[in-house]
Amino acid sequence: MVKQESESANRPDNTAFTQQRLPAWQPILSAGIVIPGFVLIGLAFIGIGVALFVTSRSIQVLELDYTGDSNGSPCSSCSQSVVTNCKCSLNFTLTTLFQGPVFFYYGLSNYFQNYRRYGASKDDNQLYGDLSYFTSPSSSCSPYDYDSSKKPIVPCGSIANSMFNDTFTLTWTVNGTTNNVPLDGKGIAWWTDYNIKYRNPSVTPLKNAFNGTVKPINWAKPAYELDASDPSNNGFVNQDFLVWMRRAALPNFRKLYRRIDASGDYQKGLPAGNYTIDIAYNYPVRAFNGAKKIVFSNVSWMGGRNEFLGIAYLVIGSLCVVMSIVMLIVYAKFKFPDEE
Amino acid sequence: TDCQKNQYFNKKAFVSYLIHGCYCSLIIFFIPWASMNDAVRNDGKDIVSHPSFAFLLQTCLLIVVHTQLSLDTYYWTAVNHFFVWLSTIGYFAISVTMYSNGMFYVFPSSFPLFGAARNTLNQPNVWLTIFLTFLLCILPVVAFRFIFIQLRPTINDKTFLSSIRRSTRSGYAFSHSQGYGDLVTSRKFLIKRPLKMTALFTQTDSSIFQNQPQHYRTIVVTVPDCIFSGFKQDRTSTSCESSLCSWGFQ
Repeated sequence: MVKQESESANRPDNTAFTQQRLPAWQPILSAGIVIPGFVLIGLAFIGIGVALFVTSRSIQVLELDYTGDSNGSPCSSCSQSVVTNCKCSLNFTLTTLFQGPVFFYYGLSNYFQNYRRYGASKDDNQLYGDLSYFTSPSSSCSPYDYDSSKKPIVPCGSIANSMFNDTFTLTWTVNGTTNNVPLDGKGIAWWTDYNIKYRNPSVTPLKNAFNGTVKPINWAKPAYELDASDPSNNGFVNQDFLVWMRRAALPNFRKLYRRIDASGDYQKGLPAGNYTIDIAYNYPVRAFNGAKKIVFSNVSWMGGRNEFLGIAYLVIGSLCVVMSIVMLIVYAKFKFPDEE
Repeated sequence: TDCQKNQYFNKKAFVSYLIHGCYCSLIIFFIPWASMNDAVRNDGKDIVSHPSFAFLLQTCLLIVVHTQLSLDTYYWTAVNHFFVWLSTIGYFAISVTMYSNGMFYVFPSSFPLFGAARNTLNQPNVWLTIFLTFLLCILPVVAFRFIFIQLRPTINDKTFLSSIRRSTRSGYAFSHSQGYGDLVTSRKFLIKRPLKMTALFTQTDSSIFQNQPQHYRTIVVTVPDCIFSGFKQDRTSTSCESSLCSWGFQ
């Protein structure tokens, strides 16, 4: 028997929300949606994959290893000696024009910038120009915060200390004359790093801000003298320093060193001919089986050469089309009985 | 019903969830890894910094999770729409804010990783990677569900596919199936009925009920009766169990 309930104060309101009567939409995986959907996605992926693959193929890349780990390879003399600033050269020949804008990268292998203790070993306040941290660097930088005579290191930390210090110059030999290829080092770091994240202390001359501090142990020159040719490229906003401080995620990485200045003979890129790279080999990598290389590359709308994306899209697109055919067969054979 | 046959949380189901989880995790890591190996921005600068790679993985993960959630939500009311869209858009809003200049100026020590969002999200190859990862995780799920609906439809799937129309959500915690709201609210159960078989479904999936001894009222639709157990005293708890099952599982 139905018991009539009396109206009580706790009775919920009779609205759609409280009585769970909200209008609802019900998505259903019906054949009319899934199968054409898969076909469309498959075809779209194949299209994108073709575009990516073709673009990637049109990008020119030249990689030159100069670790010098085996006798006879370039720079092997430098890799075995302990002389700093050892000079060696690499020769290469371009048979066709290397289309500009051409970017000059240095690459390192087996180098784990993503290691946690390494990555935490820096003082962001110092790098932001806060002078109070110059005299007392944060403890996360240890053991690279104070040197043996208890003087503070600026910039402190392991990342700064391990800054890449090989330098390169590029020359082009044609018709017996050797021309120096101009390299442009402006604007190679992220805009946000240069303009916002890193600041020099607002002391002029910059050298005075570093009184009472020492340079990192492995550096040849202190931070305020990193670039003698361009006074604005010193201190913490030095472009090479910024590029190095942006920690790479993977153990084999490349970082932008310079771009080929598109002027004069090099407006369209690097012309065909013989080239020589003179390297000042400072950075030791053989101790941990690392490798160093130089990479020339041009870029497109999708970045550098990356065949993976193009191939992946093509493969997945074809799989989608195949799956849609399979689903069509399944649907046709085991047609769902719709009599109730 | 499926619950009585223990179809929703047995070892086989657990293993299939495990496989799905492993597969998605591997895809979410290795596809961005392979596409970011030696990648650069389209103006030549570096793209694969540690914070930006992490941000890319996070974004892929969030998008996959939201889409999986959407696939598993059978009834989209305004509340569902609001929360899922809020979550997706909120993720992007919060990440971009977290990685923005403004937050860095206010709290420099708490937001040192800034710049990652801005410098990666304006690159087409990053979005293409996200799109690829997301579809690689979701399409197998869609395909499997579609095929299993065709090959081995469960009683809930049949309910859905037979009522392909816009419907209002019924009450009483049948939160993931259409439930028997119409029947319940039509007050038919307040009338004493003679003992006869009336069934909503003629499918043989309800064989459990048909095998019961006849002193039960063998109406499949008696399931919701137990809600009104205050009204009828001669119900056994067997029909209640299946409804409890439907409440909790989908």
